[in-house]
Amino acid sequence: MKYFLRKLGMLVFTLFISVSLNFFLPRLMPGDPARALLDKMENLQPEQLDTIRAAFGLDTSDSVLVQYGHYLRNTISGNLGISFSRFPTPVSEVMRVAVPWSVGLMGLCTIISFMLGTIIGIAAAWRRETKLASLTVGFFSFVRSFPYFWLGLVFIYFFAFKLRLFPIGGAYAVGTPRGTLAWWLSVVRYGTLPALTIIISSLGAWILTMRNNMINVLAEDYITVALAKGLPIQRIKSLYAAKNAILPSVTGFAMSLGFVIGGGLVTEMVFGYPGIGFMLYQAVNGKDYPLMQAIFLFIAVAVLIANFLADIAVMLLDPRVRDGAK
Amino acid sequence: MIKDFFKTLISNRKSLVGLCILGAFILVAIFAPLLAPYPPKIDRLETIVNTVDPALDEELISEEYPSDSQDVLTYRSTVTREYVKTIDYFPLRARPSSAHPLGTNHAGNDLLSQVIWGTRISLTIGLATGLFVTILSLTLALLSGYLGGVVDDVITFLTNVMLVIPGLPLMIVIAAYVTMKGVMPIVLILGLTGWPWPTRLLRSQVLTLKSRDFVRVSRSLGERTLFVVFREILPNMISIAMAEFFAASMAAILGEATLEFIGLGNVTVVSWGTILFWAQANGALLAGSWWWFLPPGICIALVGTSFVLINFAIDEISNPRLRKR
Amino acid sequence: MSETMLEVKDLRAGYGTVKGFVRAVDGVSFTLGRGDFLGIAGESGCGKSTLAYAIMRLLRDNARIESGSIRFKDKDFASMAMAEVEPHRWADMAMVFQSAMNALNPVLSIGEQLTDAVHAHRNVSQADAEAMAVDMLRLVDINADRLGSYPHQLSGGMKQRVMIAMALILKPELLIMDEPTTALDVVVQRSIIEKIEDLRRQLGFSVIFITHDLSLLVEISDALAIMYAGRIVEYGAAGDLFSDPRHPYTKGLMNSFPSLSGPIVRMGGIEGRAPDLLSPPPGCRFWPRCPYATDQCKSGDGPALREVGAGRSCACVLEGSLR
Repeated sequence: MKYFLRKLGMLVFTLFISVSLNFFLPRLMPGDPARALLDKMENLQPEQLDTIRAAFGLDTSDSVLVQYGHYLRNTISGNLGISFSRFPTPVSEVMRVAVPWSVGLMGLCTIISFMLGTIIGIAAAWRRETKLASLTVGFFSFVRSFPYFWLGLVFIYFFAFKLRLFPIGGAYAVGTPRGTLAWWLSVVRYGTLPALTIIISSLGAWILTMRNNMINVLAEDYITVALAKGLPIQRIKSLYAAKNAILPSVTGFAMSLGFVIGGGLVTEMVFGYPGIGFMLYQAVNGKDYPLMQAIFLFIAVAVLIANFLADIAVMLLDPRVRDGAK
Repeated sequence: MIKDFFKTLISNRKSLVGLCILGAFILVAIFAPLLAPYPPKIDRLETIVNTVDPALDEELISEEYPSDSQDVLTYRSTVTREYVKTIDYFPLRARPSSAHPLGTNHAGNDLLSQVIWGTRISLTIGLATGLFVTILSLTLALLSGYLGGVVDDVITFLTNVMLVIPGLPLMIVIAAYVTMKGVMPIVLILGLTGWPWPTRLLRSQVLTLKSRDFVRVSRSLGERTLFVVFREILPNMISIAMAEFFAASMAAILGEATLEFIGLGNVTVVSWGTILFWAQANGALLAGSWWWFLPPGICIALVGTSFVLINFAIDEISNPRLRKR
Repeated sequence: MSETMLEVKDLRAGYGTVKGFVRAVDGVSFTLGRGDFLGIAGESGCGKSTLAYAIMRLLRDNARIESGSIRFKDKDFASMAMAEVEPHRWADMAMVFQSAMNALNPVLSIGEQLTDAVHAHRNVSQADAEAMAVDMLRLVDINADRLGSYPHQLSGGMKQRVMIAMALILKPELLIMDEPTTALDVVVQRSIIEKIEDLRRQLGFSVIFITHDLSLLVEISDALAIMYAGRIVEYGAAGDLFSDPRHPYTKGLMNSFPSLSGPIVRMGGIEGRAPDLLSPPPGCRFWPRCPYATDQCKSGDGPALREVGAGRSCACVLEGSLR
């Protein structure tokens, strides 16, 4: 219980930090971007100028603390400002359209990658003497060092450009009515290469971690005891070995999630997949600070919540953690 | 002990391969001016041929006889030279050829030269950031793990908070805000987002070592803190610190490439990442110009793989269970 | 001497390493009668744990039995296929492992770890298996409500008793105990030893007790085997070995115990260290540390274990002439 409360407290606190970071970062960076933006937009009507000032909180009549208060209030109520590059669309509207694509793509890929990686890692450790195991480990170690975006480029080149099996970019066949079967099929088709990119890049880390954990666990005495007791191999593999080996992986899940999301963002940029990654790319190039801030906030919140869920999972799996023994 | 460690590293086949690859790239970086056919940013070749041999013409301009024993003569001499200057502009976006083994980019720069010269920047940023991160996290880990108490609480807390905030988005956001462009900001950004992970790892190692008998003995003998830290604990952390160095360097190389690719960072500097940026910006993919975007990526992958191999070997050395039997 | 239950003959076993085969057990032979208590003592690295694991056919990875026989229940366990060994292992012959800290699965309750041993060998319902578990726990003085506890919730002594219960749950005829008390403090050690004695009286199993702590064994063993560098160097009734050690190594060991009463004497001890089993010295393995070594000792295969009295054997050429 104490563990749960501690983790919950940590979640709330880091959420608060992320939100605040979002606020203070632009104001702390050298070279005030807000000023630069304002200067860039010379040919604005006076009313627009005022709106921008207000939206970006450049009403310097209020003190920083007051601005901060407004910001907190706005954020909690969902008012994330107006997008500069898509003026006058509010940021929350832009996000609403983009988020489902990202959550779908990256959520699915993370789950697949984690499950596949864990299974392969366990197998690679159990049969570590075989050639297949060494080859798998070697292959994924190599693939791991490719930048995500580059792998995406290579896939596009081979599968989309040369072989014309998949489309080059986008998320669905434009023109097909939404919600129809044809549309869903096109979603799958368009999403295959981005998904493949993310999964293959992130698989390596899971496999290697699980394999190493498993090898360490298999050397433990309780495995020898289990063998001596004559337990069925499946039981030893699952409840004695895997259940112990997976604990460090779950603990590190949130951190890995951060990397996977980072890679996913870049993959979206390469494929023009209309999720928040692509939005971030456009926001960066268009110096659309409100949108950038909102995206960062969303990502931070998502990762923090996922982290919290992973902590809960560890609590459920490891009795030592439940009792606060660790 | 440290010498043994390096000896073992060299004898392990995996790390040997890794070290060779890394060594090759380092050599390329150092000898870039000699290896690259052209400087990275030129887009033309100028050849000058003299058609007429230089002739020295002397023209007497004035004569003065200030005294019987002195003549002052003023001459003007000019060298006349006639020559033909041939400017060969490199083809733009050319396919690989004998003149340009990796083709050229949108501005006519030879891509092979760019990749070779780019090695300097990419490797430097990668290794420098790796070093920065390793030293920073080692320091924090030693302080936090050994001193314990409030120092430990604060550092651990900061680490945990930073760990959960996803790295790449943070990097992107910071890089977007920073209006100064250049190599240093990239190193700083990569470094300041990369320290939490190694710090946590190294700290737990410090804690393990701190409770070991030989450290306890040292402390009970009354050795000063600095002595215990530098002579007892630090030498035992060499292997794990090295592993972290390579991991951090790889993360830095990938991070730098990613940031450059998006367009943050200085796109006028030639590095593997910026080559990819320009490739993407000029539709290299859609034009099928594989010679443009494949080589830089392969280089990044090779360097990354060399780090991974070396790390594999370090893992096997420090954890005997992982060794082949 | 009661009917023979276990007969080990000329057993050789060890570990394959890059540098060669480390023969941790080098020609060990002994017999064990029904209900007997055999103590095997020796310093760290003499091969006693390898011997225990070999008998149980638990040698894994690069460890294996090289040659020899292990006759148990009219079958040679050393040469049998694994599939034939497994039904007997734990049901007829079980082991209590060294450090209970690491020998219990941290993520399963002790009840689950007790009952899965039962389910692996008997076709009983979960309720019956749990009843058996509760019985065993009671025998080792652990309350039945601990069935759902996890290993980290138990003390070191309790964990070791759980290990004993787990080993005895199928009522095996032979119990091998590999340094079961090493990680515990003296008081707990005492209680564990007494508990084992108690259970032995109740259930009638034989025990092979392996340790480096001679003082424990001397009281409770029927017979004692002293191991050195992979070989048994002396064997006999515990009391006889204690009062009249024949082998120089046994002599050295017995001299290493300070007595609680009497004047303070300068302790003996044995100089030097155990040999590297990768390339042991020629002849008798003990000669580099033996105060009585002669030239005869330094060559050949080393002295064989010879009978020197009723139920007494010794592997030393100078046997009997040392007083």
